[in-house]
Amino acid sequence: MPLIKIDDKEIEVEKGITVLQAAIDERIEIPYYCYHPALSIVGSCRMCLVEIEGMPKLQVSCNTTIGELPPERKKDGKYDMIVRTQTEIVKRERENVLEFLLLNHPLDCPVCDQAGECYLQDYSYKYGRAHSRFLEEKRVRKNEYLGSNVIINHNRCIMCTRCVRFTREISGTNELFVQARGDVSKISIFEDKSLDNMLAGNVIDICPVGALLSTDYIHKNRFWNLEAKKSICTDCSVGCNILVYSQNNRIYRLNARENHNVNGYFICDIGRYGFHRYEDAEKVTSPLIRSDGGFKPISWEGALKEIYEQFSMSMSGEKQQIVGIASPFHTNESLFMFGRLMNNIFKDKSIIGKLPFIEDYEIHFDSGFRISKDRSPNRKGLLDFCPNLEDEILQKVKAGEVRLCYALDDGVDRKLDEEWESFFKSQRFLVVQTYAMTPLAKLAHLILLGPSPMEREGTMTNDQGRIQWLNPSVSLTNKTRPDWEIIMEFMNTVGKRELKYTSVNEVNLEMGERFPDYRGRTFFKIGYQGLPKKNITTSRPSEGRQAIQ
Amino acid sequence: MAQNRTFKFTNPQRVEKILSQYPDKRSATLPLLHLAQEQEGYLTSAAIEAVAELVEIHPGEMMDTVSFYTMFYTKPMGKNHVQVCQTLSCSLNGADSLVDHISEKYKIAHGDVSQDGKISLVKVECLGSCDTAPVIRINDSNYESMTVEKFDKIVESI
Ligand code: SF4
Ligand code: FES
Ligand code: FES
Repeated sequence: MPLIKIDDKEIEVEKGITVLQAAIDERIEIPYYCYHPALSIVGSCRMCLVEIEGMPKLQVSCNTTIGELPPERKKDGKYDMIVRTQTEIVKRERENVLEFLLLNHPLDCPVCDQAGECYLQDYSYKYGRAHSRFLEEKRVRKNEYLGSNVIINHNRCIMCTRCVRFTREISGTNELFVQARGDVSKISIFEDKSLDNMLAGNVIDICPVGALLSTDYIHKNRFWNLEAKKSICTDCSVGCNILVYSQNNRIYRLNARENHNVNGYFICDIGRYGFHRYEDAEKVTSPLIRSDGGFKPISWEGALKEIYEQFSMSMSGEKQQIVGIASPFHTNESLFMFGRLMNNIFKDKSIIGKLPFIEDYEIHFDSGFRISKDRSPNRKGLLDFCPNLEDEILQKVKAGEVRLCYALDDGVDRKLDEEWESFFKSQRFLVVQTYAMTPLAKLAHLILLGPSPMEREGTMTNDQGRIQWLNPSVSLTNKTRPDWEIIMEFMNTVGKRELKYTSVNEVNLEMGERFPDYRGRTFFKIGYQGLPKKNITTSRPSEGRQAIQ
Repeated sequence: MAQNRTFKFTNPQRVEKILSQYPDKRSATLPLLHLAQEQEGYLTSAAIEAVAELVEIHPGEMMDTVSFYTMFYTKPMGKNHVQVCQTLSCSLNGADSLVDHISEKYKIAHGDVSQDGKISLVKVECLGSCDTAPVIRINDSNYESMTVEKFDKIVESI
């Protein structure tokens, strides 16, 4: 393995990697724009120039690979390469490159969405000149729509071509190209095919400056006001890793978060803009009980009393059937509790079912990115914790028996067809745990107020068997209680248990005790990158590199 | 760009010959584009797609190249296509006043075609004849040490 020295650091590196990669791996900062670990290397921005001993000129570190020298030619007797990233000349070159990049740049950071997370801003601050020497007129162009969710501000573009390469190499859709050359060049859409593929939003994330803007977020907030939470997307069973940006419990945008075992560097647009569906849903703000054809608020104590009265009768031997409707939209911890309630308390009086799974078509991109046809986040977990799940529940419920039903909400898009509607209507008492007035909730006798997907906390198991942390991005509203807690109260009330979990962690630990696949998969252990279930030794191998940017 | 037209090289042997000259198909991009342009007078999107297919890249990527060079056109040009060099020597020797003159006289700007279709104007990069600047090229011939008067005479004569 080649031994190199970057500044004062001695590093052994894999043969064939680039100087920039070696530096990034060692957390040595070399500024760069056009390089992106998921894209091919073009070496066009010149920001990553470094000094390499023995080479007459500065070299682009993103496109200089490290090899091995024969023993007699080693530098200082032992190094295969000596790189300097902080010398005067390197710094001066950075300053010069920045001056060029800023020639036509409007320097409109106060109104730019990227401000605060802009590498042009950061490196100008670090390496740039304080004063522009450019007296000529700047080239000014109007903003344009590239696609229905993406606007380009040409004046801010530094022509790194990350976006163009993305459409060629990752989405494979080829909408973008570099039109013309020199100072008249610009990013354009090819013919009339606008940038509207399922991955289009990623170009906004990877644009290192504020040139590509999301129509959904433009001028909505400032980066430094936003709080970023590391979580996972719940719009399909891939479970892409995301960053959720919010302020005062309002979500402003979602970005992709790197995870090479799941989604790489990107997310799809279904997930990216999906959070609006929860905003648009009609919210429930308190536990509700049916009254005079409508609903009226009820306290939690009242609700539990109601549950006691309705459900503990069923314990007394009368011919009754308890129908539990579980859902793949819930966390493992909630499903674990739900399974316990059904199987350990109601035992053979109960039957667990689910609404039909929500499916759409599976989408594969050549680059390996995948959107699953299973549009629920936790089907694996559902099957793990409710192993006796009845597929044909509509056929299995016995006629003539009194039926009591406890249903968990099933995603914001859940519709009910006639058959299911009449099924729910035929229940003597229907309890629905939800955060929104879904078609299912409307049929309930009692509504228990659970968290919305953005408020939920727990683990989810993706379709590869990877356990990941669903981290709440907004806090629970007043009367909402975590799902696991509601189910625990249900168990305590009806089953006379004395469960006293105080946090989802405790439920998670108990779950690990009872389900060996999940043993030791605590929040602390799985962290923000997740871990496979115990019996799965390898998921997809980790590939790709961490990027500083 | 003109749409919905098909394109076929009228001289497939030449296409074959060009392709055979390069170890990497992509290297044949420029000669093939020239050939296509020769055939139609400009590059239709169908032609660009055809060339892209031959060299095995996406038409979108081909557009990078087509739009990069000033000698490729994606719309029909005038009968007399005037290319004024605007690189250093020519600029220093008055290329701008030539452009102004032509623009005014035929009411066309860079990239335009006159209404009667007789003349079109583009500013191009170095025509390789810097010692006789300013240089213009009309269709396939270069005209050197140009002046406004000379230009008018030449146009009349062709
Ligand atoms: S729009 Fe952004 S990503 Fe695309 S070339 Fe310009 S700076 Fe790069
Ligand atoms: S990152 Fe190396 S040239 Fe752009
Ligand atoms: S600069 Fe005009 S021909 Fe070279």
